[in-house]
Amino acid sequence: MTSKGKINKQDVAKLLSEWGKEFTVFVPSQDAGVATWARWDGKDTSFLEWYRNTIVPPKAIFLPPVEEMFSFKKDKASYQIELPASDEKTPLIFGIRPCDAKALAIIDMTFKDVYEDPYYLSKRNNTILIGLGCTNPYDSCFCTSLYDGPSDVSDVDLMLTDIGDEFLVEEVTEKGKELMAKTSLAEEATEADEVRAKEAKEAAYNKVTRQLDTKDIEEKLLANFDDKDYWEKVAAKCISCGVCTFLCPTCYCFDINDELIRNQGGRLRSWDSCAFPLYTKMPMENPRLEKWRRVRQKVCHKYGFYPMNFDIIACTGCGRCIRLCPVNWDITQALASLPVRAQA
Amino acid sequence: MLTKDTKVEQKLRSEAKALLEQGKVDYIIGFELGSLKFTTTPLITSDKDDTSRLVINPFIANNLSVYLPDVKGRVGIVVKGCDSRSLVSLLQDNKIARERVVILGVPCRGIIDLSKVEKLVGKERDEIDDIVREEDRVLVTANGNKKEFPTSEVLFDNCLGCELPTPQEYDILLGETTLPAGDSDQAASLAKVKQLKDMPAEQRWEFWKSEFERCLRCYACRNVCPACFCQRCFVEETEPTWLLPVPRWQDNLLFQVVRNIHVAGRCTDCGECERACPVNIPLRSLTREIYEIVGELFQYKAGMDKDAPPLLACYETTDTEDFIR
Repeated sequence: MTSKGKINKQDVAKLLSEWGKEFTVFVPSQDAGVATWARWDGKDTSFLEWYRNTIVPPKAIFLPPVEEMFSFKKDKASYQIELPASDEKTPLIFGIRPCDAKALAIIDMTFKDVYEDPYYLSKRNNTILIGLGCTNPYDSCFCTSLYDGPSDVSDVDLMLTDIGDEFLVEEVTEKGKELMAKTSLAEEATEADEVRAKEAKEAAYNKVTRQLDTKDIEEKLLANFDDKDYWEKVAAKCISCGVCTFLCPTCYCFDINDELIRNQGGRLRSWDSCAFPLYTKMPMENPRLEKWRRVRQKVCHKYGFYPMNFDIIACTGCGRCIRLCPVNWDITQALASLPVRAQA
Repeated sequence: MLTKDTKVEQKLRSEAKALLEQGKVDYIIGFELGSLKFTTTPLITSDKDDTSRLVINPFIANNLSVYLPDVKGRVGIVVKGCDSRSLVSLLQDNKIARERVVILGVPCRGIIDLSKVEKLVGKERDEIDDIVREEDRVLVTANGNKKEFPTSEVLFDNCLGCELPTPQEYDILLGETTLPAGDSDQAASLAKVKQLKDMPAEQRWEFWKSEFERCLRCYACRNVCPACFCQRCFVEETEPTWLLPVPRWQDNLLFQVVRNIHVAGRCTDCGECERACPVNIPLRSLTREIYEIVGELFQYKAGMDKDAPPLLACYETTDTEDFIR
C-alpha cells in the first residue's frame, strides 16, 4: 500500500512555488468564466474553492488545439525549416481528476504506438500528475461504471484527498515519493486523517449515480454495427458539431495544414472531429457523409475499436460530452438502448 | 420543474399522436426531458408511443427548426415564437415547403437561462434542487433555501426583448391565448450590445480578440443555427481553402464575421449560437447588432412574413445601389 502524508491547504501556494522551480506547473484556471488549464501564476489558489472539473480537458496541454509543427522560409530553390522551441521544464499538473489522468494514459497508447509522436511525447513524457480526488461529481459523471471512480489512484503520481483543512496525500509512484521527500511542507497523516479520507472517498463514490452497463459492450456494438435503424434513431438529434469530441479527454484526432504567406509559413496541427463531414472527405467520395455513420464511428471508436486495439474502453465517464452538448445527446442513453441480439 | 404548462403538454401529446396516427405527418419534432436536471432534449420520432414523452416547460431552449431541412417526409414540429420565425425564414428561402410541415405553435413566456440562475444562487445547475416558474417570478431552491427572482432576471437576454412570443405562422396553437409582445424590454435585451457599442473601437477590438482566443472552432454556433443551412460551409471548402480550420483568434474572428454576414436578414435573434458555445463567447452581441443594422437599413425583420422575398437573396429594380441592377 502507498504511504501517506498530509498537506495543509494554506500551504498549497508554497508547495506549488517549490515545484515551480523544477517544473512548469499547470493548475485549473478560469478564462472569462470558462474553466481550463493554465500555467500557474505564482499566487492564485482560488481554484481550490471553485474547481470541480475543467471544460477544456488537460489533453490540451499535450495536444494543443493548434500547434506549429515547424515553420519554413522559402529561399529561392530551397526551404529553411525551423522547429518550434520546446519548454525546458517538465509539466506538473496539479489537481487533475482521476478521469482525466486515466484519459491521458489512454491516449498515450495511441501516441506511443507503432508511430511515436514526438510533439505529444516531448511534452507528455515525465509529466508529473498530482491527482485531486473528486468530492462533488456532476450529474453527468459515470466514472464508476468504467473504473474505480472519483478517487482512483492508478494514473497519478500523488493523489490528494480533501479531508477538510488538509489534503491527505498518497504516494503512488516513485516520482511521487521523491516529490514528497523533498518538501518540508508535508506532515505525517494520522489514523484519524485516513479515516476521514476513506469516508470522503466513499461519499464521492456514492454521489456518482449515472450508470452504464459496460458488460460485453464491445460485442454488442459489433453485433449492431450494421443496424442502420438503430444508428439513425440515436443520431437523429445530433447536430454534428465538435463539442463532444473536442472536449473529450480521450479524443485525439487532428488535422494538419500548411500555411504559406508570401515566402514563409508553417505546418499547423489542429484538433479535428469525426463529427465533421470534412473529416473523411476523400477525392472521390465521403464514406461517412451521413450523420448516423459519423455518430456510429464516435461511439464504436470509444467502446469497440479502442478495446479491440488496446484492451481498454476509450471513455472515462467524465461526462463532458453529456453536459456540454448543445442538444443533450447522451452516450450512456445511446449505449443503453443498443438492441440485444445474437452476436454477429 | 413541473409548471402550469402541463395542460398545454397534454394537448401537445394528443395532437402529436393524432398527427402520426392519421398519417398526416411522418415525424414529430418536439422536446422531451433531458438526461440532466433542468434540461430538455430534442425528440425526433415516427413512433406514436413516444409522443407521451413530449414536454413544454421553461427549459425548452433549442430551436428545433434547425432539423427541418434534414428530416425527410412530412413533419409536425413544436416551435416557440422565435423558432417559428426561423421556420418562416426557411420557407422564404425555399429550404422547406409549407405543405410539408404541421406547425405546433407554443405561446412562449420566455426560456430560463440556467447560467443566470447559477450566478444568482452561486451554485451549478446540478447542485440546484428546484426551479419553479410562476407568472412573473421564478422560485429557486438550493441548499434548502428558497429564493425568489423576477423572471426578467433569469430569462435569456433575447427573450427579454422578444418581438413574437406566439408564433404567427402555425397550424395548431398549443395554449388558450396568444401572448402580447408589448411588454418586451428592448433595453435589457440590448444591454450587452450597447455596452460593446459604447466602447472605444480599440477597446472593443481587444475585447473580441480575447473572446475569440477561446474559440475552439467546434462549430456548435453554426450547427445549431437554422439560418446556417449551407450544404457545405465556406470553411469546409478545400479547393481553394478560404480559411484554415485552425483555432487562432484571427481565423476564429474571421469565421464568425463571415457567418454573421451570411445570416444577416435570416437571423431571428433566437440566441442559439451563444447558448451552444461551450466557451461562453457572447456571440449574440454580434448577431443582434447585425439584426439591428438589417432593421435600420432595410426596415426588415427576418421570419415575420413567409411571402416576403428573402432580404439578401433578392433585388428590386428600384434599389438605390446601381451595382445590383
